[in-house]
Amino acid sequence: MRYLSGRRRIAVPVVLIALIAGSFFTASALARSSAKVVKVAIMSDCKGAFGFAQEQGIGGAQAAFGQFAGGIPKNKNKPSAGMSNIKAGGATVQIVGYGCGDDSPATALKEVRRLMQQLNADVLVGPLSGDEAVAIANWAKTHPTKTVIIGTAASQDPTMQIAPKNVFRYYGDGAQWNAGLGEIVYKKLHWRKAAIIMDDYSFAWTSAAGIIADFCAIGGQITKRVFPPLNTTDYSSYVRQLPPPSQVDGYFWVVGGTGTGPALKAFEQAYGPIDPKKHSGNLFLWFLTGFQDVAPRLIGSYVGGFGIAPGLNYGPAKAYIAVMKKYYPKITAEDSFTLNYYRGAHALVVGLNGSRGAVGAALQAKLPRAIKDPYQLSDGGVLKLDSRRNAIQDQYDMQIVKGAGGKPAITLTGYVPNVDQTFGGTFAPNKPAPSRTFPPCVKKKLPWQGKIKVIKNGKVTNQVIK
Amino acid sequence: MRSLASRRASIEAALGIGVLAVVCCGPLFLSDFWVNGVMTQTFIFGIAGAGIIFLSSYGGMLSLAQSALMGVAGYILGNLVTHGGAGGESKGLLLGWDPTASMFVAIACTIGIGLVLGAVAARSFGIYFLMLTLTYGVIAYYFFSQVTDFGGFSPIASINVYTPVFVGDILGHPDKLYYISLGVALAVYFLILYVVRTPFGIALQGVRDDPLRVSSLGYNVPLLRTLAFGFGAFLSALAGVLYVWWQGQIAPGDVYLGSTINLLVMVVIGGIARIEGAWIGAFAFIVIDTYVRDVEVPGLSLGGTLFGGTFNTIIGVIFLAIVVISPNGLMGLWDRLLDLLLGNRGGPTAPEAVPTRAEEIPAAPGA
Amino acid sequence: MATATSSSPGRRYTRSDVKRWWPWALIGGVFLFVVIYILFLAELPPAIGTGDWRSTNSGSAVFDSPGTLLTTFLDAITFAAWLFIVASGFSLIFGLMRVVNMAHGAFYLLGGYIAYEIQQAMTGQGFSIPSSEVNTWEWVLPALVAAGCIAVVGLGTQQTLLRWNQGQDLRQALITIAVSLIVADQIIAHFPRAVPAGAQQFGGNAVSMTWPGWTDQRLNLHVWGVEYSLARLVMLALGVGVGIGLWLWLYRTRTGMVIRAGVDDRDMASALGINIQWTFAIAFFVGSALAGFGAAVGAAQSGVSQGQDVQWLLNSLVVVIVGGMGSLLGAAAGAILYATVFTFAATYLPVSQSQYAIVLTFALIALVLAFRPQGLFGKAG
Repeated sequence: MRYLSGRRRIAVPVVLIALIAGSFFTASALARSSAKVVKVAIMSDCKGAFGFAQEQGIGGAQAAFGQFAGGIPKNKNKPSAGMSNIKAGGATVQIVGYGCGDDSPATALKEVRRLMQQLNADVLVGPLSGDEAVAIANWAKTHPTKTVIIGTAASQDPTMQIAPKNVFRYYGDGAQWNAGLGEIVYKKLHWRKAAIIMDDYSFAWTSAAGIIADFCAIGGQITKRVFPPLNTTDYSSYVRQLPPPSQVDGYFWVVGGTGTGPALKAFEQAYGPIDPKKHSGNLFLWFLTGFQDVAPRLIGSYVGGFGIAPGLNYGPAKAYIAVMKKYYPKITAEDSFTLNYYRGAHALVVGLNGSRGAVGAALQAKLPRAIKDPYQLSDGGVLKLDSRRNAIQDQYDMQIVKGAGGKPAITLTGYVPNVDQTFGGTFAPNKPAPSRTFPPCVKKKLPWQGKIKVIKNGKVTNQVIK
Repeated sequence: MRSLASRRASIEAALGIGVLAVVCCGPLFLSDFWVNGVMTQTFIFGIAGAGIIFLSSYGGMLSLAQSALMGVAGYILGNLVTHGGAGGESKGLLLGWDPTASMFVAIACTIGIGLVLGAVAARSFGIYFLMLTLTYGVIAYYFFSQVTDFGGFSPIASINVYTPVFVGDILGHPDKLYYISLGVALAVYFLILYVVRTPFGIALQGVRDDPLRVSSLGYNVPLLRTLAFGFGAFLSALAGVLYVWWQGQIAPGDVYLGSTINLLVMVVIGGIARIEGAWIGAFAFIVIDTYVRDVEVPGLSLGGTLFGGTFNTIIGVIFLAIVVISPNGLMGLWDRLLDLLLGNRGGPTAPEAVPTRAEEIPAAPGA
Repeated sequence: MATATSSSPGRRYTRSDVKRWWPWALIGGVFLFVVIYILFLAELPPAIGTGDWRSTNSGSAVFDSPGTLLTTFLDAITFAAWLFIVASGFSLIFGLMRVVNMAHGAFYLLGGYIAYEIQQAMTGQGFSIPSSEVNTWEWVLPALVAAGCIAVVGLGTQQTLLRWNQGQDLRQALITIAVSLIVADQIIAHFPRAVPAGAQQFGGNAVSMTWPGWTDQRLNLHVWGVEYSLARLVMLALGVGVGIGLWLWLYRTRTGMVIRAGVDDRDMASALGINIQWTFAIAFFVGSALAGFGAAVGAAQSGVSQGQDVQWLLNSLVVVIVGGMGSLLGAAAGAILYATVFTFAATYLPVSQSQYAIVLTFALIALVLAFRPQGLFGKAG
């Protein structure tokens, strides 16, 4: 090819500019949305500490779409394959995408941009984990026309300190889940002094805050708080910071995700076999399959709740399980990763019915402030939202017992009615968020103190825990 | 007939002006997502990438710490500027300083940290330097996720609510940030072109080529390298400030190894030998990132349930292909295309082309 | 005056003497302060609150708890043994071939998952297994298989991607970065596979291996009332064993001699007619095998999960930066130093500052590099 002369010298740059401009135009046209449907995005974690719960979240939400909006799953064994025929409020609901988080706020924001701006979703059902929700709630503050119904994230900030008008949570936060646990171990195991070990980040702080507030309110003392960093490989040095068993009545474990098993193992390596009467913790101790080498020694210990009551002998709960089985038989129904997304999607359908398919502020006005919930016993089975759009929810505490085949399993042990996010006044928007030092250990009166009911064989009795 | 070099230069200049004209009018015809999601991000990451290219092509120092320095600047700005109390934020130091002063302090502190890090690394060359800067990057991640005083694992949010007076309200008018980033990117581009012609820049290129000889000529090689690293930190600081204004939040995940590698991939795709490669590579990466997300490569995730989880495999394969086939990335392909069009059969002729050290930087075109 | 030797009597000290000494004096002073702090100055924290600069979690070694000093020291050397196993492979590959294998962390993770899958297949339990049901062979075989698999993966990577561009260090580093991206992503897509019913496969979810049952006890050391976990001591023994094995191989066999020659001067070794390609292949094979074996140790001690690849890449990098590349002694020294700083920081930093533990890692690196940019036992250039 010879050197380009004269006009051709100009032609090449012009053609290239035209190509570039043309590709901009095309791409921007592709990116523009033009449909009139209600676009919904569902976001869960597909990587990171909670990557195992990806299909559960999507399955829970889509089962609710199936039950209340006529949705038909494309693949009953794989929720992320999609769902068609969802109609609510006279509009077609289109699931435009599934967010893939990895428990980190940076990825969450990236996914939100992709789902809500690139794919133009109007409503987000999600995210799954605590700090992701903090990031998304902050994003939602600056995007008031988008609606966010939190999936199953349990950090306190999104509905307390941040609390934008377009963020809703139809279940309790991590602190609420632990209501009653402190009182149970105080009364039944006679714990007076305890140490607590928690991951050094917001969800663990929130979860621990519920335990601390409850235990201290009734008169217990938290003598030591230990904070292993989130990405610890070797828990031994942190476990050694805990007082030895002779100096405390018990230990609370709020170490989760990938760390529960190693931390417990490190404890055994430092202080000997675990005595179940001296160990309690939050919902992470439910995931027993992750550390069966330690779990048999945990049989007998009390653990905090997850806003759900597996094995509850109650009509609406059984109906929910049947619905999940009908739509997605392989997804664990009695797990809050599934249930909280179900709750959110159910509320969305009710809201769309009320707003007649409109989104934005109209939808936010019509999203229910009271809704029938499968695991709510108070108020005739109706779950209410507080003024900051967070649920006031019944909570259930658990105990690890010997299940089928001698393997450890969990069972319901305590019922705490109508726990709200302020935790009886412990938390407030103008108070600090849960942190290493907040809440302090103070004695006070909580609304449910002395009112925790015993649960026997899945039925809530009228007996109070003494 | 004009020389090959000046012909190349004029073609590229014409093209550059054309692209600039299109980009300046961007908000008029592009969708919001493209303006704010793709282009602004391109400008911002291009600035950080230009820092890598400056250090690598003109200083012989391939630094993987630029992304971490971006994060440092963002974190400092976030901690200084956000308020606590009612209606404010809840994470970080919450000092509530004046946004303009905070911006300068953040940039200055990042340069200072860059100088310290550069001083520690100044006597390590080549691959040792790469390892060390990678270590800096990962340590920065662990620092920001573990030191809860500065926010810890939770994001520091609403940073772009508190912008300096001359920037104004970015939230209400995102196009402002588009033009500011574009302006800063242009300024950085010309600044780098200027710096490499100064005595400092020439000495630095000498250090790149033969540190021993430069040292024997009386130059203080570690000092030169430290100052170069500090300049790279300055570029990262600019990118970091713009980044938190764009994102509004910062969290340890922004400093994670993933973002370090993303930046490196951007630079390599664009072309590590030329400054323009930073923005070309950033644009290509972001476009691939945006539109390839939902592609599940059959056979690679046998029965796996991960939606979009194979993006990293795709980008890794593209990266590998570029490093193996065309180490000078897209700009290298462009150079070869120009050579073809202009009838040049020989090696690189344009004196502006950066000579690369054979065993240090991926091979020069035509070599 | 400045050239007078320090041994001549009656010599006055000059500024250049001070210039030479002050860094050492400073380091010595800081080290002395740290020792005194740990032994005497530290205090137990008050019941409420975090106390002052003297409050550490365990108090001082002499007055409050000498046992803690011993257990912390043991924690440090057992962690060092674990670090050594993994980092020695990295150091070997780098020292000989000047290849910074950024995929070392991804290989570690892959090895961990493979070892987990093999152990699950052997014991048929699903997820983690009570240690009473694991015998020694059920840990050793998975470890060996994992080491073998990763060795093959490493060798394959080296032969296809790294053999034809030797000498281009940075290009090879970029290639290994690409490999690490791809491998880490594929691990997430395909592991873990053996999970109990109802749990989700894949996703790089957390699983763990189990040590053999007989390690699940604590040995009474009869000193200061300290009981120490046998499993951790086994880890130490494994690390020492690997060290001895590597030493015997490098210093007592012909192949090892060739490798050491190649580390010292690659071109000369090749010029002497040694088949340098074969030597490289062996070194990459062994280096990767060590990563796989170290991963089996790690999987049993603290589980396998996605994210550990970055952690272990950092660990390997720090050990090798501090200790120097290509030398066994360097890997050992780097591992011990890093583990000591890391473990003692967690125990003895004042409670109010405990979140800054990672800064000490950086300080260690900065300190070593300020005096020896090639690492403590590394070869210059």
